[in-house]
Amino acid sequence: MDETTVQVYSVLFVAITVVLVYTARFFGRRRARRRMQRQLAGMDQIPQWITQGIESNLPLHLSFGAAGVGGDHTPAALAGAEFFHHVIARANASDMSPTVTMSAPATVPLGHDVLRRAWRPGNTLSSVQWYPPDLAYAGAVAASAAVEEPAAHILAGRFGAELALMLDSADQRGQPSLAVSERLDGQAVAFAMADHVLIGEELFAAPSAVSEDEGGRADAAILDVWRGLIILGATVLLMLEFSKQLPLLSWPLVAVIAAVLIVLGAITYRRR
Amino acid sequence: MGPAGMAAFVAFVVGVTTILSLLLGDNPALFGAGPGSDELARRLALPGDVLLRLVAIVIAVSIVIGIANLLFVHVGRLARGKIYSAVMLASFAFTMYWSITNKGDASLLEAVQVPIESALAALLFVSLALGGSRVMQKRADIWGLLFVALVLIVLLGSLPLAELAPVKAWSDWLMAIPVSAGARAILLGIALGSVVAGVRALLGQDRAYRG
Repeated sequence: MDETTVQVYSVLFVAITVVLVYTARFFGRRRARRRMQRQLAGMDQIPQWITQGIESNLPLHLSFGAAGVGGDHTPAALAGAEFFHHVIARANASDMSPTVTMSAPATVPLGHDVLRRAWRPGNTLSSVQWYPPDLAYAGAVAASAAVEEPAAHILAGRFGAELALMLDSADQRGQPSLAVSERLDGQAVAFAMADHVLIGEELFAAPSAVSEDEGGRADAAILDVWRGLIILGATVLLMLEFSKQLPLLSWPLVAVIAAVLIVLGAITYRRR
Repeated sequence: MGPAGMAAFVAFVVGVTTILSLLLGDNPALFGAGPGSDELARRLALPGDVLLRLVAIVIAVSIVIGIANLLFVHVGRLARGKIYSAVMLASFAFTMYWSITNKGDASLLEAVQVPIESALAALLFVSLALGGSRVMQKRADIWGLLFVALVLIVLLGSLPLAELAPVKAWSDWLMAIPVSAGARAILLGIALGSVVAGVRALLGQDRAYRG
């Protein structure tokens, strides 16, 4: 595929996404009832963690990891900020400000902004903490968690294998954790060691799972639509490839198999 | 127009300019074979280049914000009697003094920072091994079992023993097909999420611009 074709497809993809975002938000606002939404792991635990934090006067620890504003990871940082905004807004009754940590210095103003908007005006400067990246960050967060004893850790952003140090520290102190990383090694560590784990694009759907914001739910629905279209397209291409390689397969049989796969996928999706 | 509206407007203008510049610039083939297509493509690429250079400068400057934040947090902790923060502040001051008086000499970094990071890396190995051993406690289901089985097969397959050649074949197949497919699926999901989050920011719908 030459560069021009890629650029044309890119323009089309962005344009369709813009139209979908507007359309979904328009219908999302008009629809009064709550849209049936995918259940995300650990979301039902967050209110309990917030309540425990308020009762025992302990902060929540929210971490962006290395997700920074201005680079390739800006969307992850923005999605994390949106997620944290809704979590902090629920913890508004607490006397103890949540602690927001990050290893990308450009995310420090974003962290301050989230705290200022979602918590309450006041001295929250020391609640946003930057540490140098990678292992130094993990070591500093683990040490800080030993001092501040947060009620729970919510780690949503960009983490590598160093996430293991933070999750191990949390586990040893009996502090619950929810983790998601846009890096694959961090995602694997999160799956193995976190109490609750979100996977892949669930980082971007998480804000809608903890809020009543119809716009956020519309964005999550667009993610599902794109994902469904890609799975459908990949299935069709795969079946076409099979039909070429196996002469015994007839077109009606290919169509039936494809239909069965799609129905099974739809049933599995609805059951989730 | 209030401050939030102005922020959303600026975000929209800058975002649309950058994305159009990146998508349409630097490719004259998009504008046909006319004589002015080269110049048009170059001009379209210019705003994106300028804005991205500005971003690079702002990111470079933001390290100062990070260091200021670190110092502020630890001064606050020291005021609350946390003695470890005094160690951190003293280390910072001494390193600055050393660096200035020895004209950027990095021997202190190599003598202290590198061994400490190596020690943390060793600790990371222990944490990962412990985490792997706890998978079945946290996820006592088919997925936890599958995770542990795959880890064991890949670990055994990486051993240089002739007796484990069939396991290595299994490990290679696992890494080439299912692991690769799963990794691509996760990355595809993240890419889709990034596009939707990017479009939301582009349209000024992100909370940072909504006020």
